Amino acid sequence: MSYHIDMEDAAANEPVLLSKHSKNLLRFLHLLPARMASHDNTRSTIVFFAVCGLDVLNALHLIPPQMRQDIINWIYGGLVVPRSNEKQCGGFMGCRAMVPQTDDAELQECVRAYQWGHLAMTYTSVAVLATLGDDLTRLDRKNIVAGVAAVQRPDGSFSACIDGSESDMRFVYCAATICHMLDYWGDVNKETMYQFIMRSLRYDYGFSQELEGEAHGGTTFCALAALELSGQLHRLDTCTVERLKRWLIFRQVDGFQGRPNKPVDTCYSFWIGASLRILNAFELTDYAKNREYIMTTQDKLVGGFAKWPQSTPDPFHTYLGLCGLAFTGEPGLSDVMPSLNISMAAYAHLKQLHESWRLKGDENTTGASPYSIATTPELLDAAMEQQMKMCDDSETSTSPLISAQ
Amino acid sequence: MSDSSDEEYLGTDWLPYSERSEWADVKPLPQDDGPNPVVAIAYSPKFREVFDYFRAIIASREKTWRALELTTDALRLNPANYTVWQYRRDILRELDANLKNELDYLTEVIGQNAKNYQVWHHRRVIVEMLNDASQELELTQNALDIDAKNYHAWQHRQWAIRTFNLYDDELPFVDRLICEDQRNNSAWNQRFFVLKHLGFTPEVIQRELVYTMNRIRIIKGNESAWNYLVGVLRQSEDGLLSSYPEVLEFSEELYNAGNRSPYLLAFLIDVYQEQALQDGANEQLARKVYTLCDDMATKHDVIRRKYWQYVAANLKSQLSSKSAK
Repeated sequence: MSYHIDMEDAAANEPVLLSKHSKNLLRFLHLLPARMASHDNTRSTIVFFAVCGLDVLNALHLIPPQMRQDIINWIYGGLVVPRSNEKQCGGFMGCRAMVPQTDDAELQECVRAYQWGHLAMTYTSVAVLATLGDDLTRLDRKNIVAGVAAVQRPDGSFSACIDGSESDMRFVYCAATICHMLDYWGDVNKETMYQFIMRSLRYDYGFSQELEGEAHGGTTFCALAALELSGQLHRLDTCTVERLKRWLIFRQVDGFQGRPNKPVDTCYSFWIGASLRILNAFELTDYAKNREYIMTTQDKLVGGFAKWPQSTPDPFHTYLGLCGLAFTGEPGLSDVMPSLNISMAAYAHLKQLHESWRLKGDENTTGASPYSIATTPELLDAAMEQQMKMCDDSETSTSPLISAQ
Repeated sequence: MSDSSDEEYLGTDWLPYSERSEWADVKPLPQDDGPNPVVAIAYSPKFREVFDYFRAIIASREKTWRALELTTDALRLNPANYTVWQYRRDILRELDANLKNELDYLTEVIGQNAKNYQVWHHRRVIVEMLNDASQELELTQNALDIDAKNYHAWQHRQWAIRTFNLYDDELPFVDRLICEDQRNNSAWNQRFFVLKHLGFTPEVIQRELVYTMNRIRIIKGNESAWNYLVGVLRQSEDGLLSSYPEVLEFSEELYNAGNRSPYLLAFLIDVYQEQALQDGANEQLARKVYTLCDDMATKHDVIRRKYWQYVAANLKSQLSSKSAK
């Protein structure tokens, strides 16, 4: 018994190895080993985990100014802008597999037919740009949102891209993040989107990936965040909200699981935690137990978090583990905006951009939703202050570049 | 994040495309990653070459049998490349290829990549093109034999059943899985999916309640079964948890016999709460809820103590606002 208590104390006192996590995430921005080639199509999500993770760690200054510019330029390099006579495939690509090195205009033209924006890559790309303080002026927001509307299905769900993709709750979420971040909804049909989300609510009050599939923590986050970002969360009646809270609260074992009777996994400290934050019920969870589990998945040698204890850490679980800890107020970590899954500082920067677009009467904002997510003024002020500080740091940083593995 | 390993799939007798005479007419097209790329992957020579040739055939719009073979190599190296899958489909259409062969190929690929979105999507499109889902139940059953909670397999299976009306033999399949592992939440969900389609008539509800209570008797602390029980009760005409009194009786029996499974207690809390709110301010029922919430918070479900305090407080405020009216 005393042994058990000692173990708990040990986990409770375990420090989050902030600087090791920063170094770990920085490494992923550089050269990746060949064994990661199966992640070729989602390179911009790796940038997202690394950059947003460094942001949550208050360590963006570790990215040298030149590299920050390289990241921004590389992200913009994936932007697809369709011509007026082409399919509405605007958005960001997550990789360059379909970009050939050739001066032959005819060859380039042929490959162009297979260059499409991808909703998950567009979401993560815009999030990275916002986090790095970019002003998004190189984006044609109308064009990108036209690409989002073009992949909406008659049932209200979304595909990832104009051709060759499944449609489900993940891309409903990505569509909502993109429109919210760009403060423009264009021809996106929020009503059918809402209908699709509600048709995917299951008998146990979690949301499934699509329709009558099994309720799942990740897709429940996608559904709730999409409702919040599209200003439709209030459409859920009290009874439904209470039952959703029940399903979510019951996912806590020590850390969180994604489905009933499944093992706990670090990433659900974010997916379930963020869902509960959206419903203002996160404070009903057991913070200490949650933290205790996440800490058992921390790699003390090379930094990073894994899904399970003794597993290999990766950027996905590292970032979501950090966000999960941030929700419990872990010292040294910035607060995270749950539904966009970026820092409050990055969100404050976005709100500033929205304000300036509206003041300018930017024609892109015509028809933009006046809805905005309630954040206390104090919180936004603090976040903005931090954002300014971060920008200052970046100018004067002398941190050495962490060398690639 | 899983890693890819070329060697595992492509044997050691690999002949580079540059050394293949039948490919001598194609000039490979390297990738343009921009001047200062980030998250650059140190592709293996094999990966680099296969994709250089793939870019070349896309650029020349070549849709031939050798191009199809090339996509097979490219997809072995990166099954997540959705553009390669799309181009493969374009080639198959152009060649008017026998799609039965494609199904065989996919059965093999799914065997190796049972949790890859693109592979399952490709399967769905090919089945649609063939308008033949006769192999889908077996395919997904094989995947579920390996991992009975594989979300992709269940999703594909539901799609096939829904689209091609294959509900007939699903209930015995689900029953087998629940027997093998009563905690298989995916199987319970599938049971609900099938019965919802067939219709939750009073007879079906009755039968399902008995089925579920029998399962709970075996494992009392099984959240999946309790959730299913509540879900079925809510399908009744009035949607009330007390609409089938035998369920409350069954639960109270378990409680009186000393069982304190959090799922049992949560169910009792829900039933009493529902009744308390229905009967106006029924003090006795409300007090039962408060006592149970307190027991949960202090003894049986301590990790959720703040939640159970919240549930009790919530009922209190609902009842007081009700009596105020």
